[in-house]
Formats: sequence, C-alpha cells, structure tokens
Amino acid sequence: MPTALPLLAALTWSLLPLLWQLLTSLRTPEALVLQGPSAWLQGWTLANYRQVLQGDPPFWRYLFNSCLVGAASTGLTLLLAIPAAYGLQRQRPALRGGISLLLLAAAMFPYVLLFLALLELARALSWGNQLLALALPYAGLSLPLAVLLLRAAFADLPAELEDAARLEGLNLWQRLHRVLLPLLAPAIASTAILVFLFSWNEYPIALTWISRNDLLTLPVAMARIAGSSVYAVPYGAFAAATVLGGLPLLALVLVFQRQIVSGLTQGAVKG
Amino acid sequence: MTTAGLHCEQLSRRVGDRLLLDGLSLSVAPGESLALLGPSGCGKTTTLRLLAGLDPVSGGRIRLDGEDVTHSPAGERQVAMVFQSYALYPHLSVLANLELGLEVRRVPAPERRRRIAEVLALLQLEGLERRRPAQLSGGQRQRVALARALLRQPRLMLLDEPMSNLDAQLRDQLRPELRALLHRAGHPVIHVTHDQQEAMGLADRIAVLEGGVLQQVGTPQELYHRPANLFVARFLGRPGINLLAGEAGVQLAIRPEQLRLVESGGLPARLLRREWQGSQQLLWLDTSRGELLLLAAADLTPGEQLQVTWKPDDELRFSSASGERLA
Repeated sequence: MPTALPLLAALTWSLLPLLWQLLTSLRTPEALVLQGPSAWLQGWTLANYRQVLQGDPPFWRYLFNSCLVGAASTGLTLLLAIPAAYGLQRQRPALRGGISLLLLAAAMFPYVLLFLALLELARALSWGNQLLALALPYAGLSLPLAVLLLRAAFADLPAELEDAARLEGLNLWQRLHRVLLPLLAPAIASTAILVFLFSWNEYPIALTWISRNDLLTLPVAMARIAGSSVYAVPYGAFAAATVLGGLPLLALVLVFQRQIVSGLTQGAVKG
Repeated sequence: MTTAGLHCEQLSRRVGDRLLLDGLSLSVAPGESLALLGPSGCGKTTTLRLLAGLDPVSGGRIRLDGEDVTHSPAGERQVAMVFQSYALYPHLSVLANLELGLEVRRVPAPERRRRIAEVLALLQLEGLERRRPAQLSGGQRQRVALARALLRQPRLMLLDEPMSNLDAQLRDQLRPELRALLHRAGHPVIHVTHDQQEAMGLADRIAVLEGGVLQQVGTPQELYHRPANLFVARFLGRPGINLLAGEAGVQLAIRPEQLRLVESGGLPARLLRREWQGSQQLLWLDTSRGELLLLAAADLTPGEQLQVTWKPDDELRFSSASGERLA
C-alpha cells in the first residue's frame, strides 16, 4: 500500500505533539527530565490534573467560560452571516464583486491591530469583565469570512430550487428554513467550527477585556498557569490544561465530522 | 373576447439595454397546449419566467382567467412550473417534496394525504414515496416534478424543456403520456422547447420565437405548410427546406419531400451524395438553381445524372428583403 506511507507520515507529523502533550501531562516533574528506557517505568501521576482541576477557580470554570463565549459568538455570527450571505448573493454581479472584495480585505486584516481600539470601546461602554460581551468583537471579526464562505455556498445551490419554492407560495423565511438552509447544513457546520475555533483560541481581546479570575477564558487562564512562577515552568500542569482544553473541540469535531468534511470539499467536486 | 385562460398583451422584458422579449401577445385557452419554440436565446425561457412571476415585467399585461396578474408575486399567481432540472428538493423524500407546498398553503392534513395519493396514482409513482430524488430515474423525477406542479392546482401550467434531460427513447415513450395528462388537466399549458418534434408531439399550437420577437403562432400544420416568413420555414422541418434562386427580390423555397425525380422534362441535377436512413433516403443534388435536398424512397438506386421537378403550388415564395412570405 504505497498511499499508506505518506498518510502515516502526515498523521505522525500532526499527532506526535499531541501525544507528547498527553504523556507530559501524566508525568511528575522529576520524571520528565529522567533519561534512559527505565524512566518510562516510574513517575506516572494524575497530580497535574488534580492540580488544575482543584485550582481556584477550578479549571472546568474556564472550559465553561470558553464554551459559553464560543457558542454565543458562533450563534451571533451565523444569525447575521446567513441573511447577509443570502442578500449578497442576490445582488448584481458588479456590486456583489465589490462587496466581496471589501469583505475579503476585512477578513485578511490582522485584528491584533484593533485590540487597543476595542479596549477603549469596552471601557466606554463598560463591557469590561462581561463574559458575553466578548461575543460581540468575536462575531464582528468572524463575520467577513463567514459571509464569504456562506455566500459561496448559496451560489452553489441551483437557482431553480428557490424558484420552484417561490412558485409554490413559500415566503422568504420558509424558503430559507425549509429548502435552502437544510441544503447548506454542511457549509454552515464548517463555518460554525471556524468561528468557534477562533473564539476558543482568541487571546489579546480576552486578556484585555476580562480581569476577574472566574471569568477568564481558556487561553488567558492557560497563560496564567504557564506564567504562575518565575522560577520554574510547570510543564505537567500546563500539559494537563492543554489536554483538557482540547477535549471539547475534539468532541465537537467528532460530532460534526461528516458535515465538516463534506463542507470543506463542497464546490471542489461540483465544479 | 373570452376571459378564461391566459392572455398576454405586448409583454416585454428589458435588462439593461437588451430587449429579451419584445411585445409578445398570445392567448392560450383552458385545456389548450401551446409550445414556445425557438433556438436558444430567442426569449422562450424569458417568457416562461415572466408568466410565472419569477422575473419582473418591463411592459405589457398578463391576464389569467380575467384577473390582471402582471405584477402579482409568483407565489400568489397559482401558476405551476416544471423546471428543466425538475428542481426537486434533494434533501426531501418524494412524499415531502409533494407535501411541502400544500403544507405551506395550509391545506389540512387529511386533504393533503388524499390529494397526494390521487396524484401518485395518476402518475404511477406509488411505492416511491420514501425515496430521495437522487434515487429516482430521470423519467421518475420528471413525473414527481409534474405531480408537484399538478398539486398546485394551477390556473396555468408551464413546462421548461421537460424532455431535455431524458434520453431519446424515453422521450418518444413519454411524449404521448405527457400529452394525455396535460390535456386532461384542463388548464392552459405552455411548454418551452427547442426541439420541433417535441413541440409537434405535445402541442395543439406552436409559437415560434426568434430574437425576442414572435414570428408566428398556429397549428403545427399551418406553420409547416404556410410559414409566415423564411425563419419559420427554415426552422421547422427535418431535413431542412430547400432554398432556390428565383426571380429578383423573391426567395423560393421547397420542402425536400415535395421534390420528385422524373425521366425527362425536369431540372437537370447531378447526384453529390446520398444518405440511407432506413425508411427513406436523402439525396444531395447539384443543380443550376443551387444545391437541393431530396427525400426519396429507400429502395431507389439513383444514377449520377437525374432530373427533378415539383408542383408549382408547393413552392413557397418569400421576399428577399424582409423574409416575409408573399401570397
């Protein structure tokens, strides 16, 4: 099987760091620096997990915060992006092209340049330390790409489908709800995952908007674990936090696997 | 003037500076089937979309059973359409495809079930209710699309190239069935095609369109034997009509089946090539009046030098300048 080899190489390339992370999270700090094959027989522990889960606040609190912000950002983004994408697709080609170009420019803009301005905004509106307020900049930053992706998905649907629904008396909402959105499910799922991932990983805005310990999102909380001591890097605890932080994403991808894969390849095969 | 059926007057559609349809006036009676025939880009699909309300009208009026529907939204016209791609909802079963429109129009559930059962029986689709469109054959998909259109209880039925996605054999088989079905339904039917055989097989009358302008409307026989202009004469009939050099300002035309071979006294002709087609054969002849096509019996073995003749009554005479037929 000649195709299996490159596949194996690719899997090793992407999975080995994760495996290493998992192993690190299960070892005592002393065991991590031991050498030789005999080192694998000792030093296994769950203490790292105990440490992060029993911290103050416990680690699951950060997971919950991140899930909440992620769900709110994703929901808000889709709520705005789906009608926007539909509307954009219905425009004259020239206008549609112009708007798409602007959206592309917005999607490519390095958002780190915005975070000071966003911080000022949060201060002025007293959005600091409001967990759900994070969903607003996250949705705003995700929207351009989400609209572009969904617009392309709308464009792939045959126009006659919607015409048929119009003739049958379906109004705009019914056409979207009963005909178009079910057909767009794969594209919506893959867009949702991208938005959720962005919100899950986002650091500078979360760092500057949230200062209360119990409201931190995952990236900020993990950075705090890593920087908790100036004398040592708590590798074990850090690795345990990373593993825990990755679990919800893993679950999400497993659940929506089919939709994501067909969404990512959509258009590629249909030409 | 009767009010039942479809009447459109001076219907036009303009996009930018392009006139896609220019002042189309047509009437179709209930139970009558009209074919819109023409080459691609002639305005036939534009006409259908205007009648369905899918595109806005730039000028003129559409009246349906006496009601002016020119500017009514598509969903309120009670016009059904069978699309070229059939446009079945791919994520829904056959049953759900048929039921969606009824449900949205708030038809009560028992009546929905009764009407769907009726139309499934009529179109011989029983047993396929649970299938998805992707699991149906082309002919079955066409019937589901037709079933969905009939459930609309339309005041006007539109069909856009209903046969173009089927293979030739299936087309010949389905044409009479479709014709019988459409006639029984009792509403005006307009169907668009670029295939003249399909138009003649399905329609009571044919409207020939070219460049957004209606060229002629009439029965297939009228169009074939008394074409209004050179375009209609050349567009209808396979093999195509022969054009002969005539007197100044006049273009003569004669159908290949109206030419006859004679022993003497005809126009001298030289056989260029022939094509045997089973039931008949087609001869290409070179004459002093131009190249001619002649349809001959299949068992004939022609020599190289021939003579052709025809009845002067069969000649069609057109003005060379305008293309209009001269009386």
